[in-house]
Amino acid sequence: MKLFLTHNIDTKDLHSIKVYKKQGGYGSLEKAFAKKPDEIVQMVKDSGLRGRGGAGFPTGLKWSFLAKDVFPRYLACNADESEPGTCKDRVLLQKNPHLLIEGMILCAYACQIETAYIYLRGEFYDLAEIMDKALEEAYEAGYLGANILGSGMNLEMYTHLGAGAYICGEESALLNSLEGMRGEPRLKPPFPAVEGLYGKPTVVNNVETLCAVVPIMNEGPEAYAAVGTEKSKGTKLVSVSGHVKKPGNYEIPMGLPTRDLIYDLAGGIRDDNELKAWIPGGSSVPMLPASLVDTPYDYEAIAAAGSMLGSGALIVMDHTTNVVEEALRLAGFYMHESCGKCTPCREGTRWLHQILSDIHLKKGKESNIALLEDICDNMSFKCFCPLGDAAVAPVISSIQNFREDYEELLNLAKAGTAS
Amino acid sequence: MDKEQVTLTIDGKTVTVPKGMVAVDAAKTVDIDIPVFCYHEKLGPFGCCRMCLVEVEKMPKLATACTLNVSQDMVIKTDTPKVKKGRNGVLEFTLLNHPLDCPVCDKGGECPLQDNTFEHGPDLTRMEYNRAHHDKATPLSPVITIDRERCIACQRCTRYSDIIEKDTALVMLNRGFHNEVGTFNNEPYDTRFSGNVVDICPVGALTNTQYRFKSRNWDLKNAESLCAHCACNCNIVIGTRQNRFMRVQAKSSENSVSNDFVDDGWICDKGRFGYQFLESKNRILDPRENGIGDSRAGVIETAKKVAASFKKIAEEHGPDSVGFLGSPFGTNEELYLYQKLFRLGLGTNNIDHKLYADSPGLPVDHYDMEDVESADLVLTIASDPTEELPILDLRLKKAVSSLGTKLAVLSDQQTLMDCFACHSLRYNVGSDGTVLQSLTDGLGKKGFKKNKGFETETGIESDAFKELIASLKKSTKVCVIYNPEKLTGDSVHILKSFLTALDKNSEGTCGAIPAAPATNALGAMDMGVLPDYYPGGIPVSNAAKIRELWGDSAPVTEGASASELIQKAESGELKALWIYRCNPLVDFPGGAKLEQALKKLDLLVVHDMLETETTRIAKVVLPSNGPGYDEGTTTNIGGRVQFRKRGIVTQNPADWKILGAMLKELDIESDYRDSFEVTSEIASTVPGYSEVNRKNLRKFGHQREKVSNPKVPESKGSSEKAPDKNALRLRVSNYLFAHDKILDASSSLAHHFQTSSIYIHEDDAKSLGLSSGAEVTIKSDWGEIKAEVQVNNRCNPGGALVPYISDEQGVASLLNPDGGPTWVTFKN
Ligand SMILES: Cc1cc2nc3c(=O)[nH]c(=O)nc-3n(C[C@H](O)[C@H](O)[C@H](O)COP(=O)(O)O)c2cc1C
Ligand code: SF4
Ligand code: SF4
Ligand code: SF4
Ligand code: FES
Repeated sequence: MKLFLTHNIDTKDLHSIKVYKKQGGYGSLEKAFAKKPDEIVQMVKDSGLRGRGGAGFPTGLKWSFLAKDVFPRYLACNADESEPGTCKDRVLLQKNPHLLIEGMILCAYACQIETAYIYLRGEFYDLAEIMDKALEEAYEAGYLGANILGSGMNLEMYTHLGAGAYICGEESALLNSLEGMRGEPRLKPPFPAVEGLYGKPTVVNNVETLCAVVPIMNEGPEAYAAVGTEKSKGTKLVSVSGHVKKPGNYEIPMGLPTRDLIYDLAGGIRDDNELKAWIPGGSSVPMLPASLVDTPYDYEAIAAAGSMLGSGALIVMDHTTNVVEEALRLAGFYMHESCGKCTPCREGTRWLHQILSDIHLKKGKESNIALLEDICDNMSFKCFCPLGDAAVAPVISSIQNFREDYEELLNLAKAGTAS
Repeated sequence: MDKEQVTLTIDGKTVTVPKGMVAVDAAKTVDIDIPVFCYHEKLGPFGCCRMCLVEVEKMPKLATACTLNVSQDMVIKTDTPKVKKGRNGVLEFTLLNHPLDCPVCDKGGECPLQDNTFEHGPDLTRMEYNRAHHDKATPLSPVITIDRERCIACQRCTRYSDIIEKDTALVMLNRGFHNEVGTFNNEPYDTRFSGNVVDICPVGALTNTQYRFKSRNWDLKNAESLCAHCACNCNIVIGTRQNRFMRVQAKSSENSVSNDFVDDGWICDKGRFGYQFLESKNRILDPRENGIGDSRAGVIETAKKVAASFKKIAEEHGPDSVGFLGSPFGTNEELYLYQKLFRLGLGTNNIDHKLYADSPGLPVDHYDMEDVESADLVLTIASDPTEELPILDLRLKKAVSSLGTKLAVLSDQQTLMDCFACHSLRYNVGSDGTVLQSLTDGLGKKGFKKNKGFETETGIESDAFKELIASLKKSTKVCVIYNPEKLTGDSVHILKSFLTALDKNSEGTCGAIPAAPATNALGAMDMGVLPDYYPGGIPVSNAAKIRELWGDSAPVTEGASASELIQKAESGELKALWIYRCNPLVDFPGGAKLEQALKKLDLLVVHDMLETETTRIAKVVLPSNGPGYDEGTTTNIGGRVQFRKRGIVTQNPADWKILGAMLKELDIESDYRDSFEVTSEIASTVPGYSEVNRKNLRKFGHQREKVSNPKVPESKGSSEKAPDKNALRLRVSNYLFAHDKILDASSSLAHHFQTSSIYIHEDDAKSLGLSSGAEVTIKSDWGEIKAEVQVNNRCNPGGALVPYISDEQGVASLLNPDGGPTWVTFKN
């Protein structure tokens, strides 16, 4: 299997610039500086790379949307990684920080950016230290600062630790937080590419996305595009968690059957139990039943199956699970993480959690299911940002696919009150 | 720059509006009401409450109409089943944890949450859990109490704080379901404009502490009136119940329509919470003679009797043995009638209302307050909007931060506007004449050259001054705002030559706003309450014109000015003085000598609304109703004439009625049946006021035409050296919440009262051996007061700044009675 991001991830001390360079690190810069910025944007377009932060937006296209001739421009690397189940960026930050820096330099060169930030979730303070050390090394080696490698390019790069809020992973809330304001999403349009950080054109990209730019530069867009499916190119780093024997991060070519991911790479279900449900792309996407496990793991196929690839976090549940419990857990997460800006999400997430708690505690009523569905309907696409829709996904998909789990608990409740 | 128009359909109706308008506003133009909570026209789109959901053709999701910019051929529907379900759902969420304590809620009856629920909401709740609870009453400041349970987190208040007041004093704390409105570190929410959040809060969360539980809104009688605290003349709504004062609100889109020519829908806290004087125990209710009040005497009878006495004295000792000291606090009608009484009834021009030099009229356009927004450069001179004309402060902030206006501040003191300015020049106290002359010359052929002499005299760096001149020259629209009261000597005349030079030499257009802070300062000038000008700026020297307008008996020799009236009282030349709504014993220099002079008069009459130091020594005291009770027009700094409606009914006759009776007593025809009839007379006799009529007064008022600018006297210009090296030149500055007769100890704004302070520069502090916190006695040739030293460079070295913080402080006693410079020294 061709790997682009993790082929050398276990090299000892890869986080140090010495080892990183020995592995060919920072080699892409000379190649890039020989080209015009626009050519690099084109290469990224040609590679078919799509955003790995969740939405899967074509990266090259995003870069080309920057407001013309407006400077300064900013780059913000989204390292807020807070989606339950997702821990793929963390491994890159921890083990290969220079890969991210190199990718960010490439992006900055392509987009004529002179200031870049790495926005890390508050709990990543240990990774911030690793990143800061790496930045220091990169400055020392002349990869950052003024006139990088004599190319005339200048770039300052900083880390910024958030205060631990999921919503700050949403790009406009991230920008607010970076500006020292409340972590609440902004009205769009204007999009960050037009008015982002401090009102200036800004690129926001996920850690994995930016890292992937390095192999694209080194091996050429064709090599990258040769891996994967027609519309989902390259490889994806997937965090597999839940009831599998070997949970962890796995880099796979796009389009690998999910079955292979679960049963081969992750070693199969614990205790050789039966697969019951799986969430393909982190807590924000609908869960799917075992029957769909042969779905190829790529953007299109998973969408066709009724869910989303999201951040690439596969959560696996075996037959011992009552999915109501999972729905309740996630509802609790969204209630806790709702920023509170808009009414349906602020109030709805709490209400969903209240009702799910009752059902879970076997205190529910038959009418609860219809109520949950209606609350979800009243929230869906009526919230200010996608967090509200995300909060609905686990609830509605668990009702749709596993209604019997709800009924089981409701019947117990009925029996309980009857006795 | 006309904006491109687009045509679209809303509920089948065709609408043509400027491109980019939000759908909520576009719908309004065809009377389609889209419910909102968080949207407010002055705050702009935000989109958090989700109340305004609508369906747009070709869009898969419902859209929020408050954030939706309309475009050509858009098809919007506001009453489809999908929209109805969406709104119903949003309201269910909004009410989910709402206490529904409507029966005891101040907002009840005028509550958007009630109204929207009634119209679009569910009949029942499906919520089966306990509602969230918070403390029912948390004071955010002495005047604002928050009931967090009722908050629907629309963020109007916090955005107001951020966008309008620009201090983010009020913020959202915590996250998600636990978010709440509060302040950093739980500090009090004490700003100059805090009360506006009560008006814009769409529920009963932010409440007016004074008004809490005082009345049901539907029991209120609301009068659209004007604030009488400063010369902005903001539009307010006075709510009363059974003829008792209940509250003041800004006149805004929340209850009516905002007057954007004046206040943009906001008022300051003095305007909102500073109205307890309406029920003050110091109100003068009965006429009083020789210290004996008599409620049976009848105000009109007493007034007529005193008018006759004035007549008798004038006949006996000549017309110039009587005089009138008015004030900038009366209405145009009252002031107009007073000058008429003294000029035509008594034959004297001994009429004045102020101590500073100024003459009516401007050599350039008189700009309205709204012009601040379209100007590309606003230059303030000696003006401190934040303390003197608060709503102008908000206007300036709005213009600077969102409309691209540049601000230049030229002052002898640091002000809160400085941080919004691109040119902030501070001149030495007393050097305004030189600064203005150099500005005038600099704009002309001579130009301005770097010069040490200028720098030492004024304390301004030549380069910064040059940049200001360059900016003035190249701007397309310059608005000059100046406070004549804070210019020294007669440099206001130099200022007028500067305006002429600006008009001639700048590339664009220009205009000015004379920004004296007193309520009707401009009206008092316009109404000719001046010894040398008749109404409408006609100088007494223009005898022909005066005879034509006022008849053959109108006096055409210059009368005595305010300070001359006092001198003449002292010398015995003046026998009778009539004081109207003015308290010279506190506001005029002279101290004990002044009191003696007034006591020498044969007849001292004070016509006022509250007891003052001066009413105490008056022979006759007459009650004046004053704002809240009176009716009439005032002219704000922008030249806008507006009608001040009465809020409370009183038994006492209106001042115009008293004046009408006195005029009649002195054989001058007068048959006014209401204040409007006086207004009509003003329209027909006062140049500039001809277009003022009932109709336009009812709407947004009317900007009177520019008063003609007769040739202004040449300035004598003066800049004096300190008499001794330890003396500093005194500058008295204004403080919005001064403890005076209007904001007395019972005021709910008392927490803003300050103690007497003197601000000096660190250089002087060093040489005088003074440090912050030192209690000192400040001495001048005329008096002394106590104050605490503050070393903070609010003015340049050589100056000493004393904010007027209370009547008791006695600042006026320090001042030079000739109007010349005042030097102060310190005694520990
Ligand atoms: C509630 C919410 C949370 C998000 N969290 C993250 C995150 O932790 N990391 C991330 O890269 N993108 C996150 N995103 C997606 C970002 O908004 C944005 O689309 C992404 O950073 C763009 O980068 P990409 O194009 O490289 O994927 C989140 C989006 C939402 C709505
Ligand atoms: S949906 Fe609304 S409340 Fe929820 S996170 Fe987004 S903006 Fe905040
Ligand atoms: S805020 Fe409105 S809905 Fe809420 S209790 Fe008060 S009146 Fe009722
Ligand atoms: S206090 Fe009022 S204005 Fe402020 S957020 Fe709450 S409901 Fe809105
Ligand atoms: S009014 Fe439109 S979202 Fe609040």
